[in-house]
Amino acid sequence: MLCEKCKKRTATVFYNENINGKTRSYSLCGECAAELREKGELQDITSMIGSFADPFSSLHNDLFGSFFGIPARISAGSDKACPECGTTFREITKTGKVGCPACYTAFADELSGLIQSVHGTTAHTGNVPARHREKKERAEKLAALKAELQTAIENEEYEKAATLRDEMHKLESENGKETI
Amino acid sequence: MAWYNATGKASDTVISSRVRLARNLVGYPFDGKLDPSAANEIIEKVSAPLEAAGFRKIVFADISPIMATSYVERHYVSPEFATKTAPRALLLQENGGIAVMVGEEDHLRIQSILPGLSLKEAYENARRVEKRLDEDFDFAYSEQLGYLTHCPTNLGTGMRASVMMFLPALTAGGYMDSLAAQLSKIGLTVRGLFGEGSGAAGCMYQISNQITLGLSEEDILKKLNDAISQVSDSERKLRSEITGEALEQLTDRIRRSEGILRYAYRMSSSEFLKLFADVRFGIALGIVTDITYEQLGTLLVEAMPATLTLACENAPKTEAARDRCRCQKIQNILNPSEQS
Repeated sequence: MLCEKCKKRTATVFYNENINGKTRSYSLCGECAAELREKGELQDITSMIGSFADPFSSLHNDLFGSFFGIPARISAGSDKACPECGTTFREITKTGKVGCPACYTAFADELSGLIQSVHGTTAHTGNVPARHREKKERAEKLAALKAELQTAIENEEYEKAATLRDEMHKLESENGKETI
Repeated sequence: MAWYNATGKASDTVISSRVRLARNLVGYPFDGKLDPSAANEIIEKVSAPLEAAGFRKIVFADISPIMATSYVERHYVSPEFATKTAPRALLLQENGGIAVMVGEEDHLRIQSILPGLSLKEAYENARRVEKRLDEDFDFAYSEQLGYLTHCPTNLGTGMRASVMMFLPALTAGGYMDSLAAQLSKIGLTVRGLFGEGSGAAGCMYQISNQITLGLSEEDILKKLNDAISQVSDSERKLRSEITGEALEQLTDRIRRSEGILRYAYRMSSSEFLKLFADVRFGIALGIVTDITYEQLGTLLVEAMPATLTLACENAPKTEAARDRCRCQKIQNILNPSEQS
């Protein structure tokens, strides 16, 4: 992935910046990150992770320790541990890998900037396991029925609206059954 | 028949196509946090339906390092899988090139490798096995991030599709660096023969998707397929521009390489890869007519050090003995009537 500032060199520094509660994610090459630091445009780093690509792993360690001229300063959140496997955010930044599926929930905020930097998005659009698919299809059908119901009401087609509402109730009760 | 003994579409520029799906089971931590008994439990659980479907189970703790390396040379397992010490097993169905690594970085790496340009078929093979396992097991998944993987770089589809290309003209023309830079802009990566960190031996390059999240499997395959077609076209155009004295010189080099490949007495694997590239180029240009892509494909696996050593009657103990064995293997395949 390319540095978002110069758009020429490979991005090796990914981090989130938090100013007055607003989070912004950056992916930069080393040179552009250094430039921003000199200008004093980087403040209150809440997380910073070097590239996950193996060739940069040694670079990442250097970056982590001294790039910002501060001794490996990570936010207090870095000592937070995953309730399932006990992995800390500090460990994740070191290895570039999480400890268990629950880490993605436990560190959702910390990881979102990084996932965005690597993939350019944080939303899955591909295949869905069978167990999740039916649930998802029902939710999508429900949303479509809801929109149709709204239109029917606006057009004063009350008979159609009643049929749609019944269909929605039926789908919702099926949803309920599944969770029992 | 193993994938490397056959030939496929676009063989002039493509050696093989591979698709792998990373999956993890709910209820277990990832590699590193997984204790050996849990790792063995996963192997037992997953093996049952696959063995019932005709897969052969190879427990890596029970095989020699050289046998493990041979599976790397056949592209059924990653170099990391072959050398790690945690419990791990390979479930293999050679027909269709389907290999399931249990205990790699993710609990499951389901992959299919096929000769030539066959991304769609490779995906369908891997997906069929994945769907079968999806019936029995709950895969770690979130609606937001898709399939959850040990490394966040594999999130979403968990799919890595890669094509091993053969690009002698682009290599000779010095275009590979700029090609790699262009491909990286559209989210594709270029690597060497055995993946990350391996050099581009024999003018062979693996081109694969970098991004796994936010695109559907079909979109990823289409994007890669389109890029492969474009790279193939560039390679073919450059090949067609070799004429006159340049073609004469190239023909001379290729004929010499063919001669050495057929009749040398000892050969290192790096020399083999150089000659392999020349002769394969010769087939594409119509200069070499009595060696086939299938024969070279077989050699690309069987002349590699570990696979070669395992196949020799008297296991060669020195490098020189192995280099001698390599020539016998090559000649058995290329000149079956003239045993040396």
